[in-house]
Amino acid sequence: MPFNQVQSLSDLKKLQETFYDAIFDPSSNNIKQASTYIIGTEKISEAQRLSIYRDSILGGITAALTHIYPVCVKLLGEKYFTHMVAGYLKKFPSESPDIGNYGEHLPAYIAEFKPAKELVYLSDVAQLEWLWHKAFNAPSDLSSSPEQKPLSELQNISEQNLPLVKFCSVSSANLLTSLYPIQRIWQVNQHDFQGDHSVSLDEGGVSLVIWRCADFGMRIDELNEDETKFLSAVLNCASFGQIAEIDFNQGLDEIVQRCIQTGLVIGFTTG
Amino acid sequence: MSTSKYKANSILGAGLGLRSSHYQEVFNTKPDVPWFELLSDNYMAEGGLPLVRAEKIREDYPITLHGVGMSLGSADPLDMDYLGRLKTLIKRLEPTYVSDHLAWVSISGKHTHDLLPFPYTDFTVKHISERINQVQDFLGQEILVENPSSYLDFHSTEMTEWEFIQGIAKSTDCNLLMDINNIYVSAVNHDFDPYEYLQAIPADRVKEIHLAGYEKMDNYLFDTHGYQVHPPVWELYKAALNRFGATPTLIEWDTDIPDFPTLRAEALKAEKLIQEVA
Ligand SMILES: [Fe+2]
Repeated sequence: MPFNQVQSLSDLKKLQETFYDAIFDPSSNNIKQASTYIIGTEKISEAQRLSIYRDSILGGITAALTHIYPVCVKLLGEKYFTHMVAGYLKKFPSESPDIGNYGEHLPAYIAEFKPAKELVYLSDVAQLEWLWHKAFNAPSDLSSSPEQKPLSELQNISEQNLPLVKFCSVSSANLLTSLYPIQRIWQVNQHDFQGDHSVSLDEGGVSLVIWRCADFGMRIDELNEDETKFLSAVLNCASFGQIAEIDFNQGLDEIVQRCIQTGLVIGFTTG
Repeated sequence: MSTSKYKANSILGAGLGLRSSHYQEVFNTKPDVPWFELLSDNYMAEGGLPLVRAEKIREDYPITLHGVGMSLGSADPLDMDYLGRLKTLIKRLEPTYVSDHLAWVSISGKHTHDLLPFPYTDFTVKHISERINQVQDFLGQEILVENPSSYLDFHSTEMTEWEFIQGIAKSTDCNLLMDINNIYVSAVNHDFDPYEYLQAIPADRVKEIHLAGYEKMDNYLFDTHGYQVHPPVWELYKAALNRFGATPTLIEWDTDIPDFPTLRAEALKAEKLIQEVA
């Protein structure tokens, strides 16, 4: 049986690809292909041995995603979540050795996941959980680029150079806008939440910034329309000159001050 | 002599696998644990809270780094980006040992995040030895490789697992991390004598031992890392200590992680047995 020999790199590659396909797409043909490599016994068949590995692999990845998406698990139920992850894995293979990088596309996948269709807000809640996970693991701002100057040096910038200033936000910050009250949904589903668990979708949408502050506190802050416009421009590397053109309700000075006070804006670059 | 940022740099006795649920207790009580093993894959991000915690632990304890991401058994080329980040982490945390497994984890750039078996053949001895040498050259240090537990055998396998390990030991200068629970689990699953396995292992290469609790399924044992160490594994461990000497030993507990005192009590059992052969 030359097919079963593993005496070269291409033999090994073929075996591993066949094994992978049988795990993530366990069609009867894929299982049959992989089984040709495996010794079955009376006690445990070839297919059963494969499914030991399948359960272990899916169990491990599901546990990792459960850790990132605990509120989604709670809202969807463990059974449906596990079922959804199996489908997600087939469509989006994990491309990084770091399991913490896996799961980025789950919010988009949830939006298309039929059994969760009625939970219209679930995809946005998932996005909130992903951004929380990213902020938690973001590099610390101490190691930010050498061109970044502290805000205290802003007073040394001449009036004519001011339009060239680009504000720097904390590297962990990400914005999220939703039509639904996802921050409240997220909050009442935290395991230590005490109080009224009901949330009405009539409460309306929110604009949020998810970030980690200097002392490693995790933050989800609600933003008003001006702050959203301002921070979104900052995150897109807009210059102060470009930001000054934006139509704000409040004065720009006031908005900048607030974002500096909260610690979201921590420095600036010029040119 | 290279200089170290940290005071403690060698490991002795029974250490513990550091899990995130125990950080606070370790920070607050500074327990008398000889060393901790950290899962390198949890600290590979450029920064973030986990890394800050790891550095804080490292100030008080010697550590080892244990990973699953090298995919030494894969037909894919080695992931140099992963190894680069591991090298950075090694510089930062100065572990006593760095270890990974005799297994494959990824193929064609797709990752399973689990330790998968491959056939033991002359080709795979050569292939994996070359990769271990490549990793060691790149990291500029020796690594430890660990025997995983397994649930299947391949038609194409030409030798036993211990013969495979002997082959690796001959063609590389890597060291070994012998997981006694894994030997026992595989011995039951594949019906071989675990004591014969132990006897065949080159004793001078064994630098660390793992212990864990398996789960008894209907017709096989599964390596859950979710229980206390079972009696037959303690027996096999005694034989291992007699053969390998007083080897640093780690209790691995990854699912249904108990409170810290329970974990420590398990380590103290190992510590006592290590003392007896020391
Ligand atoms: Fe182990």
